[in-house]
Amino acid sequence: MLGSELQTVEQVRALRDARRTDGTNVFVIVRAILSAMRMTAMNLFRKPVTVHYPEKPRTYPDRYRGLLALVYEKDTEEEACIGCRLCEMVCPPAVIKVEMLKGEKRNYAKTFTLELYACEFCELCVQVCPTDAIVMMKSFDLATADRRELLLDKDRLHAIGLQHEQSWATGNKLRDMQGPPKMARTEHAAKEETPA
Amino acid sequence: MSAPTVTPKRVELDYTGSERLTMNMGPQHPSAHGVFRAVLTLEGETVIDVDSVIGYLHRCHEKLSETLTYAQYPSIASKTDYVAAMTSEFAYVRAAEVIGKFEVPKRAQYLRVITAELQRVASHLLWLGTWCMDMGGALGGGATIFLYCIRERELILDLFESLVGARLLYGFFQVGGVRYDIPSGWADSCRQTVDVIDQRISEYERMLENNPFFMARAQGVGVISRELAESVGISGPLLRGSGVAWDLRRADPYSSYEDFEFKVPVETAGDCFARYRVRMVEFRESLKIVRQALDKLPEGPISSRPGLKSVAQTRVPKGEAYVRVEGARGEVGCYLVADGSAKPYRMKWRGASFSNLAILPHIIPGHKVADIVAIMGSVDPVFGEVDR
Amino acid sequence: MLELVTPLIAPIVVLHVVIGIVTYVTLLERKFAARMQSRIGPYRVGYHGVLQPIADAVKLMMKEDVVPTAADKPVYNLAPIVFLVPCMFIFATLPFAPGLGVADLNIGVLFFLAVSSMEIVGLFMAGWGSNNKYALLSAMRAVNQVISYDLPFVFSALIPVVLAGSLKLSDIAAAQSGLWFIFYPVIGQLAFIAFIVSTVAAENRAPFDILEAESELVAGFRVEYSGMKFALIQLGEYAHILGASFLGALLFLGAWSGPGPEWLGPIWFLIKAMLVFLLVTWVRWSFVRIRVDQILALSWKALLPATLLLLLATAVVVVWRANAGL
Repeated sequence: MLGSELQTVEQVRALRDARRTDGTNVFVIVRAILSAMRMTAMNLFRKPVTVHYPEKPRTYPDRYRGLLALVYEKDTEEEACIGCRLCEMVCPPAVIKVEMLKGEKRNYAKTFTLELYACEFCELCVQVCPTDAIVMMKSFDLATADRRELLLDKDRLHAIGLQHEQSWATGNKLRDMQGPPKMARTEHAAKEETPA
Repeated sequence: MSAPTVTPKRVELDYTGSERLTMNMGPQHPSAHGVFRAVLTLEGETVIDVDSVIGYLHRCHEKLSETLTYAQYPSIASKTDYVAAMTSEFAYVRAAEVIGKFEVPKRAQYLRVITAELQRVASHLLWLGTWCMDMGGALGGGATIFLYCIRERELILDLFESLVGARLLYGFFQVGGVRYDIPSGWADSCRQTVDVIDQRISEYERMLENNPFFMARAQGVGVISRELAESVGISGPLLRGSGVAWDLRRADPYSSYEDFEFKVPVETAGDCFARYRVRMVEFRESLKIVRQALDKLPEGPISSRPGLKSVAQTRVPKGEAYVRVEGARGEVGCYLVADGSAKPYRMKWRGASFSNLAILPHIIPGHKVADIVAIMGSVDPVFGEVDR
Repeated sequence: MLELVTPLIAPIVVLHVVIGIVTYVTLLERKFAARMQSRIGPYRVGYHGVLQPIADAVKLMMKEDVVPTAADKPVYNLAPIVFLVPCMFIFATLPFAPGLGVADLNIGVLFFLAVSSMEIVGLFMAGWGSNNKYALLSAMRAVNQVISYDLPFVFSALIPVVLAGSLKLSDIAAAQSGLWFIFYPVIGQLAFIAFIVSTVAAENRAPFDILEAESELVAGFRVEYSGMKFALIQLGEYAHILGASFLGALLFLGAWSGPGPEWLGPIWFLIKAMLVFLLVTWVRWSFVRIRVDQILALSWKALLPATLLLLLATAVVVVWRANAGL
């Protein structure tokens, strides 16, 4: 039954002609045309929205997910990464590869490779890191002509961490924001972050 | 009772002595809205038959979801409907929550509503821009409206950037709530942006309403009658433009949509102009919902599960569910089969654009070549959703 | 001696000047359109993009000339030239100042209109010779459209002719020393609007640019051209529209009449032509395009009867004023 009620070409044409307005009111037409042209003319005198990048740098918001980097601990100036490989396991496109080096007091990462050309910039690695070792920067300027330069090893990652400005998000901050609160959430947020 | 079979009619026009031309509007085409191949059979300028070929953007999402855990996949889910990325994440995450019976705190629900409606506005801005550009040409009046819409969309993307850190593909949702809370000052800049966009939408309406060129292209073109709309299975603005008052936010409310007051626009004409009017009203209604949600935003946690510490932290017990959300293009559905582990056993996407594309062989034959782009634009497919 | 040399030098000078203006008019259009779209146009090449047209020309000259294997070679190769030559020819009759022109014919307007409609041959040759369905569709649309709009173009251009009483272009310009024809009570404005609409349509400019609709036919008849041949086609298009702008400025805006000394005449002419061009550009960047059957309906059902009636009305008015001794 349903198959016979579908539209035939005659019905298409009939519907089309029934829906068309005459459009013969000249004044309406002229006014509409002039109104559209006035809109374009108004924009002629508005300031253009172009930002003259790269001469004028763009201000990135606090939470910008840019390049990835490994950081050092604030007080001891040691590498923060303990080679636990949680980031390697959570990464959806599996771009991180870590080898652990066992030490006496704490572990280290022997090698840490991150394939930035395949990275999704989803920030999941930042979220799971127990020591806030891997973070994202407020910059993405790493365009290169050779893809091998985007295969970041540990030294490169540390260097990026020292060169650029760090984003707001670290593992502990994200986990505290998400989980049920230890203290009232609004006070916590006001203490931790700067306005975006 | 067997499902009724729906066969598109092959049109036989009774031209005498004309030749039929088979033309390919190939996957590489400025107005294919992605990668869409239509093999057209033309007689002169009239289209007799359209044979759509899809699959050029297939990336095996459904198999991929079986190898990624519930914590990892939401970032990938954005990539199905990359123009309105939040909706896909929403559907997936809600499916897991429905199976596992996870509570979502009220603040997280309101944040989800705010971002979903802002995403709808951004998606409709892109729709308007690309539709006018298809009808008007990349060097011409269409490009003007396109650039204005993109300028407004940039404002919304800036909002998302200060909330999430990313502009197009977010990883905002997680099972049990959302990942980020709003920074201080975001609510005020959101309200300012919403006001600016409201005013600019009025400008677009003034540019396009009663414009004889625009009306000539949009009225009477691609008419979907009500019976056709109900039988083919389209959803979203296509359905509401043909007189069917069906909006999932009203019919099957989720995530506190019942707390907000908004109108669901319905037009009866069924042509491209009716769908345009539906979407223009949806703009304003979405902005209204955002304002209401910002005013009533409750305090509280943003996730009912502890912050993600390891990849297999979220385990969903055995069960299956089909969950749907009202995306910008229609009903985005996610059918999830969970088996108690950290990865789903099977996940299927119901792409809104995939089902909407089924309407094309019914409404295009009989129109001219130039109408194809107007119709495709008003159907508004995104091929990430079609091909997955 | 000068009378022998001038006819040899003048065409060369005019040709070079025209090509220079045409190249820079593309920059003007791009900056103007960009400002209307909240952005800046070419900016990096030269100061604010001043060297951009030169960069484009050099790039097009250096590009590889790709010829489709199955294209009809003689037709394909000749089409850009057949398209370009009439578009350059129309500048022959334009007087840039009283007495300063290549060939100020007695039948100036007729020559202009006749030659400018010959580009349609080149257009169709391009569409046919490319062996491409998109190009063929676009060429068929183009033939339909240009032929339909040449008639209102002719009639609306004849209205100033009737008002001035001569087909010679410098006579028409001289007849406007008192009152520009655009300021004629009702007839002038309506004729100007009809002229602009039919010009825009006869030159395939938006909103009537259905034949090169990028979003449907991906550059239409130009789709298989690259490199210098594409440059010739672009040059021809912009030369045609510039010529029509000059003609509009001459027929309706009084050509070289303006305040100031005599030698400022050509400058005023250029400024007025640029104003007409900017008006056409403003229309282009404000509207979506309409379908080809709607374009043809507009021409045959609305514009042609309107311009015909307007021409009759002008003739009646002129005769009545002559009889009344005005």
